[in-house]
Amino acid sequence: MNLKNILILAVALTHPPSTFALWPIPRSLQTGTSFVKLASNFDIENQVTNAPADLLDAIQRTKTLLATDKLQRLAVGRGLNDSTAVGKAQSLSRLTISLLPGHTVARSIAQEAVQPIGQRSEGYSLSVPSTGAAATLTANSTLGLFRGLTTFGQLWYDLGGTTYSFQAPVVITNDSPAYPYRGLMLDTARNFFTVSDIKRTLDAMSWVKMSMFHWHVTDSQSFPLEIPNFPEISSKGAYSTQQVYSSADVQDIVSYAGARGIDVLVEIDTPGHSGSISASHPEHIACPQSDPWSDFAGEPPSGQLRLASQATTNFTANFISAIAKTLPSKLFSTGGDEINTNCYAHDASTQADLKSSGRTLEQALNVFTQATHKALLDIGKTPVVWEEMALEHQVSLSNETIVMVWISSQNAAAVAKKNLRIVHGPSDYFYLDCGAGEWLGNDPTGNSWCDPFKTWQKAYTFDPLANITAQQAPLVLGGQQLLWTEQSSPENLDSIVWPRAASSAEVFWTGAVLPDGTARNVGSALPRLHDIRYRMVKRGVRAIALQPEWCAIRPNVCNA
Amino acid sequence: MKMLPLVALSVLLSLTPAFAVWPLPKQFTTGSTPLRLASGFSIKLSGIQNAPKDLTDAVTRTKGFLSKDKLQALVPDRGASSAATIKSAKTLKSLTLSLTSGSKVRSISDESIVDVESRSEGYTLTIPADGSDAVLKANSTLGLFRGLTTFGQLWYDWAGTTYTLQAPFSIVDAPAYPYRGFMLDTARNFFPVEDIKRTLDAMSWVKINTLHWHVVDSQSFPLVVPGFTELSTQGAYSSASVYSPSDVKEIVQYAAARGIDVMAEIDTPGHTSIIHKSHPEHVACFEASPWSQFANATTNFTASLLSAASSMFPSKLFSTGGDELNTNCYDKDAETQTELNEQGKTLEQALDTFTQASHAALKKAGKRAVVWQEMVLDHQVTLANDTVILVWISSADAASVAARGFKFIHAASDYFYLDCGGGGWVGANVLGNSWCDPFKTWQKSYSFNPTANLTAEQSKLVLGGQHLLWTEQSSPSNLDPVVWPRAASSAELFWSGPGGDVSKALPRLHDIAYRFIERGVNAIPLQPQWCALRAGACDLTA
Repeated sequence: MNLKNILILAVALTHPPSTFALWPIPRSLQTGTSFVKLASNFDIENQVTNAPADLLDAIQRTKTLLATDKLQRLAVGRGLNDSTAVGKAQSLSRLTISLLPGHTVARSIAQEAVQPIGQRSEGYSLSVPSTGAAATLTANSTLGLFRGLTTFGQLWYDLGGTTYSFQAPVVITNDSPAYPYRGLMLDTARNFFTVSDIKRTLDAMSWVKMSMFHWHVTDSQSFPLEIPNFPEISSKGAYSTQQVYSSADVQDIVSYAGARGIDVLVEIDTPGHSGSISASHPEHIACPQSDPWSDFAGEPPSGQLRLASQATTNFTANFISAIAKTLPSKLFSTGGDEINTNCYAHDASTQADLKSSGRTLEQALNVFTQATHKALLDIGKTPVVWEEMALEHQVSLSNETIVMVWISSQNAAAVAKKNLRIVHGPSDYFYLDCGAGEWLGNDPTGNSWCDPFKTWQKAYTFDPLANITAQQAPLVLGGQQLLWTEQSSPENLDSIVWPRAASSAEVFWTGAVLPDGTARNVGSALPRLHDIRYRMVKRGVRAIALQPEWCAIRPNVCNA
Repeated sequence: MKMLPLVALSVLLSLTPAFAVWPLPKQFTTGSTPLRLASGFSIKLSGIQNAPKDLTDAVTRTKGFLSKDKLQALVPDRGASSAATIKSAKTLKSLTLSLTSGSKVRSISDESIVDVESRSEGYTLTIPADGSDAVLKANSTLGLFRGLTTFGQLWYDWAGTTYTLQAPFSIVDAPAYPYRGFMLDTARNFFPVEDIKRTLDAMSWVKINTLHWHVVDSQSFPLVVPGFTELSTQGAYSSASVYSPSDVKEIVQYAAARGIDVMAEIDTPGHTSIIHKSHPEHVACFEASPWSQFANATTNFTASLLSAASSMFPSKLFSTGGDELNTNCYDKDAETQTELNEQGKTLEQALDTFTQASHAALKKAGKRAVVWQEMVLDHQVTLANDTVILVWISSADAASVAARGFKFIHAASDYFYLDCGGGGWVGANVLGNSWCDPFKTWQKSYSFNPTANLTAEQSKLVLGGQHLLWTEQSSPSNLDPVVWPRAASSAELFWSGPGGDVSKALPRLHDIAYRFIERGVNAIPLQPQWCALRAGACDLTA
């Protein structure tokens, strides 16, 4: 053991953790050293007039979590050393929640959650006195109140049936996110996930204050999304009739998300990653399931929309419009990644269309994209695309288009130079599927293309403003971790995603600086991340252990 | 477009599901006749006097799987186009189990814990295509159990009918290697009895016959050992995170009834620092770097502990560990240095005395000692000839162990460690990856050669092998997804023998993974479902 380690150990063993285990940590936070416990008649008093149902539901859920979490403190003894202090602690009997003056018209949380990105009001203030006097939560919106309730629910531990906190008084003044887009992407096309899996994921997302669910719902492998007036696409393109999100399922998911402060950004990837449409509409798909797949697509099976065809363009614009108009979100993604030119080069129909129109493939892509985006703009939606649309193709994108960076974190700066808004989703920091080995068959020594595994620590160190000028900074909307599901299914959804995805949730809520003014860092984050992980397990989400439990109850002792 | 793949693809995409038995039997023939289970399908015992309860229980469980699996064939239409064929198929009314004449009737549980080299796991299974009775024969109830496991993997569901399209079947089967294991560490993070039982079920479905239970370590001591209860009282994570003697009994019995021997491990003298909580006098450099010391009192204490712990397990095998001794720990420990001075021994000599004492205690209790490779390759320790060595550091070390003439178990980190590739778990280490990167895919372990660099004579020393889960980053939350279906890879390797083709194995591995899910084990998908329904279509070279 070297000297440095001995010093760290000594510090760790003599000082209790200095902050609450809040995740993401508030941007403003003052804590004390007093104990306070919830009174047996503790209640959350709603003072919002004409409170929307989803706010009342959120209050009810918070009360339930306070009663059922039963999380013991992550310390040696699991809180036994707190017994005396808990016994003497004042009892908190009430949390009052109210909107600030001037914000008396209460829109639902769901309505607030789908406001245009950048115009959402998520801030809140929370005070929990140590004296037993009522705690207060205030905000400008029901969405802000919901975020505050989420924070309140993370303050408490269980000791023999008593729910207590050990760092009162707690004062949080206008905690609001550094970035409006804090998301998680889930691919439901490589393998299917049931509505209940998605709902459980939305719950977990809300516990770490995520605001966006990016739903990569379809791909070349399957098309599980029922689209009004186009039911044949999913009835023939899904893995089975049971593996379809009906229109009712979609509304169920969207409203469940909205009530938890989450906007659902649906993506139908075009013109690539669309081979599954060939089952119902072979006339619109070039190179479906062509062989060898590696000549025609990034992964099997191949198949892309015939972007040079007027009929296919109309078809695509129509079904995108048909699904988008049923969704409350202002955002909709048309994808646009990994277009395989060889597929079109070998498609006689596309070649004939290009010839008759006198267009190059790039020109045809521009026409196609403008048509699908116009369909979105016409119904008030903002298009979202993958980075290739901005960086690799000659496509005219409207100014409000949002670009998702995925290939490399290095590419964000190039998007910023185009003056387009950015969501960070780089594979080198945020891809949750990396590192689990090759999934293609007959490749005994293959590893994943984006090795190694992206640890929570790696994601946590992401700098959203790297190589971005101060002037460009407002273009950065935020970011997300992403799960592509070639090797995932309901069986490992929770364990692949949690608690790792909480990493970016804090990066984009808290920003670069901790409430005490120091730089955000993995050292002080780990004990808090253990805490939210253990709390998630209590709440039925199978988040994995980041370390042996021995380490989890001894903050910093297992550091390098 | 190349001609060859096109031809291959047309064959592969046919609507016949794979013969999806995992592990693949030693010899088998299949036909192309459809056959379905009769609604009153029964499994009968013939000529088995006083049939042991674990055999009749196994029959009941098999019937449960046949009616509840509801696994549809992994083909694009999931069997729809075979509906008419299935409907008009002949029905199979019964399967009859019998022991070959002269076989002694013992319980599966008793058969499962006989000496590892002497277990009788072979069976023959015949299923005619004409609906006449299927016949399962073996020399032991354990063999019958293996045959029942195979029988349970032959069937698919279509609209409530349980069918196969590949009758008749003729299977003659026996394992290539006697030791096919799985190691679970329950000390870094705790696993309730229920998780272990579910894991034992899954192990039995792929004919794994040994649970190597790394039950304690420096982080926690969850095993309640009679006479040494202070170890778990003070060394477990909590009073709820322990295995009581009745828990152990329950696990051992549950395992044995499923053909699984439980080989427990109390790792010594390293990986023991948690003993410090109850016995500070026996542990050197506690929570600095965890290792125990060699005082005579400690040696006696350890021997008594091992004797008591091993008596909780009926297995003939018991592991005393012996990996990763940290000499620096002892160099810095004044008590150890004083003790060595007084005895006039070097550290290595003291280790020899310590190990011989603990192994003698085991031998007295009727056990055969198992140790990690360092005990034979890195230290000057005298080991009994029948000691079994676990090779873990590198697959390349197997040859050195073989050269010393010991029997051994393959457990190489470069092929079989299930925890690799999950990133560094040590804190404050932003760019750290796991020490044994990369992730060990099922394909990697499947391609392992158990007799690489061994002479024909040395090859006889290979008892088999296993996958291993060290649980720094695992808990009940991800136990199933980390282990399954990957651990099935070594189960086939050591049952069916090496040299298997990953491309041919994949459709069968998909099948067993989907079947696991039907049975409540959260095995992960190896590929998109699109690929699972189209054998070979997602090969790198397809």
